[in-house]
Amino acid sequence: MLNTDVFVNIGINHYLGLSAILFVLGLMGVLLRRNAIVILMSIELMLNAVNLTFVAFSRYTHRIDGQIIVFFVMTIAAAEAAVGLALMVSIYKRFKEVNIRFFEHLKG
Amino acid sequence: MISDALLFWFLAFVTVGSGLAVVLFTNPIYSALSLVMTMVGVSALFVTLGAYFIAGVQLIVYAGAVMVLFVMVLMLFDLKQELMAFSRGQITGALKVISAGLFLGLIFGIITKRSNLSFVDKIPSPADINIDNSKELGTVLFARHIFGFEALGVLLLVIAVGTVALARSKGGTHAKH
Repeated sequence: MLNTDVFVNIGINHYLGLSAILFVLGLMGVLLRRNAIVILMSIELMLNAVNLTFVAFSRYTHRIDGQIIVFFVMTIAAAEAAVGLALMVSIYKRFKEVNIRFFEHLKG
Repeated sequence: MISDALLFWFLAFVTVGSGLAVVLFTNPIYSALSLVMTMVGVSALFVTLGAYFIAGVQLIVYAGAVMVLFVMVLMLFDLKQELMAFSRGQITGALKVISAGLFLGLIFGIITKRSNLSFVDKIPSPADINIDNSKELGTVLFARHIFGFEALGVLLLVIAVGTVALARSKGGTHAKH
């Protein structure tokens, strides 16, 4: 008989596995895509995966500090998105495209 | 118990599927909308973990503010379907996918083999879930992590000024002086 325990009893390892999958999806987005905005979105995906890990461990250890760190991570992510999108706007003004290859002209 | 498991697997399916869609769609608007779906799924996962306040903040900050910012910038650019959405080299692309897969396998190996985390956490009983979650969160944030909180305030001020300065600069990065 098939052991269905893994599928029925949801523990911390399930959450950790799910967040690892999400993190690697974001990593592949960063590595494979050329559009800089999609790269920013993939970074947001990775940060979300990390947040999921923090909350899972906070629940597991019954300590609230993990959720505090999630606050900090969310703030940093919002700030990073704002700065990244401002960079995109100035790249787009010059090159009319937001492909990542134009970032090598950012010097000066 | 079964309903908890079903809910988890459903949410896992939704988040992984929409996360995959973020990477695979060539139209950036579709990617942004899939990312909204992922954010909502992660927020629901926070609810299943008993972090209600964080779930609300996730919905407001990510699905509300950050994604609206993304979609607005995308509409400003008026990007069409991209021709070169993915990086070109086949071999390097395969190497990237393989290394990301190895990384995933490494994490899974660490989680399942080396951890002495009990595989089955207790199902949250009503006494187990902290009802005053937000109250305790506020107490800890303003008592133990007050320095980080203030530093974040300074950071947000710097970011606000810097973003406006970056976006207003005439001629982008190649301004003629």
